[in-house]
Amino acid sequence: MTAKRRFAVVTDSTADLPDEWRTRYGIEVVPLKVIFGNETFRDRVDISDDEFFRRLAAATRLPTTSAPSPGEFAEVYSRLARDHDGCISIHLGAQLSATAEAARIGAQSVEGFRVEVVDSQTVTMPIAFLCRVAAECETLEAAAAAVAERVPKSRVLALLDTLRYLEMGGRLNRAQAMIGTMLDLKPLLLVAGGEMPKAVSRVRTRSRAVSAMVEYFRGDLPVEHVAVMHAQAGAEAETMAAGLRKALPGQEVVIGQIGCVLGTHTGPKALGVVYIKK
Amino acid sequence: MASRRPVGVDGPLFKQALLGSLNWLSANHEEVNRLNVFPVPDGDTGTNMLLTLQSAVEDIKESSAAEVSKIAKLASHGSLMGARGNSGVILSQIFRGFARAVEGKSSLTPRELAVAFEEAANAAYRAVNKPTEGTILTVAREAGRSAAAAAGEDDATVPSVIAAAAAGARAAVLKTPSQLQILRDAGVVDAGGFGLQIILEGMLKTVEEAESFSVETAAARPKAAQVALDLPEGGWGYCTEFLIDGAGLDIDVIRNEIEALGNSVLVVGEPELVKVHVHTDDPTRVISLAGRYGKILKLNVGDMSTQHKRILDSESAAGRPPRANGVGLVAVVAGSGLVEIFRGLGVDAIVEGGQTMNPSTQDMLTAVDGVPYDEVVLLPNNGNVILAASQVPSLTKKKVHVIETHSVPQGVAAVVAFRPERSGADNVAAMKAEAARIQTIEVTHAVRDTRSNGLKVRKGDVIGLINDKLEFAGADYAEVVNKALGKLGPDAYELVTVYRGQGASDDEMANLESAIRSNFPGLEVEVQQGGQQHYPFILSVE
Repeated sequence: MTAKRRFAVVTDSTADLPDEWRTRYGIEVVPLKVIFGNETFRDRVDISDDEFFRRLAAATRLPTTSAPSPGEFAEVYSRLARDHDGCISIHLGAQLSATAEAARIGAQSVEGFRVEVVDSQTVTMPIAFLCRVAAECETLEAAAAAVAERVPKSRVLALLDTLRYLEMGGRLNRAQAMIGTMLDLKPLLLVAGGEMPKAVSRVRTRSRAVSAMVEYFRGDLPVEHVAVMHAQAGAEAETMAAGLRKALPGQEVVIGQIGCVLGTHTGPKALGVVYIKK
Repeated sequence: MASRRPVGVDGPLFKQALLGSLNWLSANHEEVNRLNVFPVPDGDTGTNMLLTLQSAVEDIKESSAAEVSKIAKLASHGSLMGARGNSGVILSQIFRGFARAVEGKSSLTPRELAVAFEEAANAAYRAVNKPTEGTILTVAREAGRSAAAAAGEDDATVPSVIAAAAAGARAAVLKTPSQLQILRDAGVVDAGGFGLQIILEGMLKTVEEAESFSVETAAARPKAAQVALDLPEGGWGYCTEFLIDGAGLDIDVIRNEIEALGNSVLVVGEPELVKVHVHTDDPTRVISLAGRYGKILKLNVGDMSTQHKRILDSESAAGRPPRANGVGLVAVVAGSGLVEIFRGLGVDAIVEGGQTMNPSTQDMLTAVDGVPYDEVVLLPNNGNVILAASQVPSLTKKKVHVIETHSVPQGVAAVVAFRPERSGADNVAAMKAEAARIQTIEVTHAVRDTRSNGLKVRKGDVIGLINDKLEFAGADYAEVVNKALGKLGPDAYELVTVYRGQGASDDEMANLESAIRSNFPGLEVEVQQGGQQHYPFILSVE
C-alpha cells in the first residue's frame, strides 16, 4: 500500500497507534518525551508502558512531559522527502500540547517538501483513526480533506481514578469544571472541539461513572470508529469493549493501552471510550 | 366610656396587641424551645417564632396608621421576610391570611375579628403541602373556631373574642399529644402550637389592659429616622438597607435606579412600602435618590469590612467564566468543612445555617438575589429549612427552584449532579433524582430522655437517625453506625462518605472508620472534615 501512495503519514506517540497499523500503513511516529528527574525517555521507544506505570507509582515527584522539538520533526520530514512528494502530519490537540506547533515550525525548514500539519484537537486513538483514514486515501489532498472533515467529530470520554495527575500537569481547571478539591469525585471528562478536558458528568462512584460514560456515548451514536482505551485497567476495558461489540454488531471496537506521556496526565486506572462520530 | 373601651380593633390597637404578643413570647420562648419532641438538638421553635414575630413587629413599629388593614399588611410583609423555621413560616402565613381578611378595613368588629382569625388559619392550611393535625395548624384552626363561637354571643366584645381564641388555642395545644404519636411518645405538647397560644395570650393581656387606657396615647409616635453616616473612608463598600414609605411606589423603577449605584441589589415590597438592600460605595447618593420617592425608614448602613455577614459571598465566583446555562446555586450549610465542599462543587453562595440555626426566608432571598444568575437552584439541606426556603420563589423576580434536600448528604448528591451545560429544568430533575438515591445516617447524642419510634432513649445516649428517623440508640458511635448500615443493607451500596463533625475526636473517627471497613468490607469509605455542630458524624450512603 505504501508503494502506491506518494505521500507519507506522520503522527506522534500520543496517537497510541497500534503497532500493527504502523507496519501495515507505514505510518511514522515521532515520540514525545517523559522526564523522571534527570532521566528522559522517548515515549514507547525507551520505556514500555508497563515499566512507565511501575515507575509512576513509585515516583516521589511526578514526571513531566515534553513535545518533540521542531528539529526532530525537521529530521523526520527531511528523511521522508527522499522518497515522498509530501506528507500529512497529524498531532495531539494544540490545546493540550505544543507538538503540532513544533511540527509546523519543523516543516518550514524543509524546503520543497509539502507538509500538511493537522491539529487533531484530540488525543489518543482518534488520532490513530485519522492516520488510518489518511493512509487509505490516494492523494495528499484527499487525505487532508478526509481528515479535516473528521477532526470536529472526534470525542474522547475519559474516566480517571484521580484528577491529581491531570491537575498537576495544568490540563484541568477545577473551578471551571466545578470539581472541588475535597470530595473524591469521579467526573466523566470530555475532550472535544479543541477545548481543554471538561467534566460532563460528576458522580461519586466508579461504577456509576462507567454508566454515565456509556450513556454519553449512546447519545453520540452512530460512530465511524470507536476504541476503548485504558491505563492499567485491562479487565475493565475488555468488559467495556465486549459490551460495545454486543450493542454495535459489525462495528470494529479497538482496545488499546495509553502511552506514557498521556499516562503522566491521567494516572493509572484511566478508562476511556474514544470515537469519531459519523 | 365608649371611647376608653376597645369596641373595635383599629390600627393602633392591633399594633399594640402585636407588641404585647411579642413581649409575652419574648418572655416565654425558652419554654417553647424546651418542648423538644425529638431527641436531636432541634429545640429552637420558640426562637424561630420569636424572630419571625420580631420581624413582623419591626415593620409596624414606625407606622402610625389608623387602619387595621395597613398594620396587618405590614405585619404580614415583615413576618414573611423574617420567617424562620417551619413554625415561623406558618406564623407568617397566619399573618398573611389575617391581612387578606381585613383588607380595606379601618377597624374590626368582634365578628370581623373572629372571621379574620378563621381566615388566618385557612391561609396557613393552604400554605402547607401536607397539613398535619396536632400542630400549630390545628391550634390556629381551633382558635379561630372558638373566636367565631364567642363572636356569635350577644355581648361579644373584642377582648371576649380574643380570650376565646386564646382559650381555644390552649385547649387545642393540650390535645396535640393525642393527635401526634411523636408528641405522645415524648410526653410533650406541640411547640409551634404552644407558641401560637402564647402569642394570642399576649394579645389578650394587652387588649385587656387597654380597657383602662386611652388607645390614642398608647400608640407610639413614629421616630424620625436619623442615622449618623459616620463612615470610615475607602474600604469594601457599605451594605445599605432601608425602607421607603410612600404611595404608588414603582418597585421596578426604584430597582433600576438603585442598581446603577451598587451591587447585590434587593428591592422588594408593595406600592406603599419598599425594602431596599444594596452594596454601594456611596450610600448618601442612594439615600438621597430613594428620598425622592418617600420617607426613608429603618436606615441601616454598615461597613462591609467589619460587618458580621451571615451570607458568605463566594470568593471565586467573580473569577469564573459565566456559566453556560445561566443557572446559579445557593445552599444552606453550616460547618467550615461542609462550606468548603459545597463551594468546591460550584455553589455560588452559601447561607450559613442548619439544624439549630435556621436561616430566615430573607437570608436565603438575599443570597438568591445576590448571585449573578437569573435562574437559581436553592438547596435547604435540612428538613427544618425547607418550608422557609419554599417561600423564596414568590419573593423574587428570579426563577428559583427549591430542591427539598433534607440533609447534607442529599445536598451534596444534588450539587454533584449539577451540570453547567444542561438547562435549569433538566438539572433540577437530575438533582432531585440524585438526592433521592442517597441514604443519610446522622449520629448524635440525645438531648433528653424520650421515647420515639418505639425506642427508649436516655439523655446522652448515642442515637442514629436514618433519613431523619430515629432508628438506633447505643453506647458508642461505631455500634450505632454498624446497626444503621446493617439495616440499610450494605450489599446495595458502594460508598460511604463520613462527614466528621466538631464533636468527634481523632480516636472516635479512627474507631468508626475501622469498624465500617472491617464489618462492611464491600463498602468504600471516604472521610471528610465536615466541621458541623451537634452531629459528630453524618454519613452518606450511596
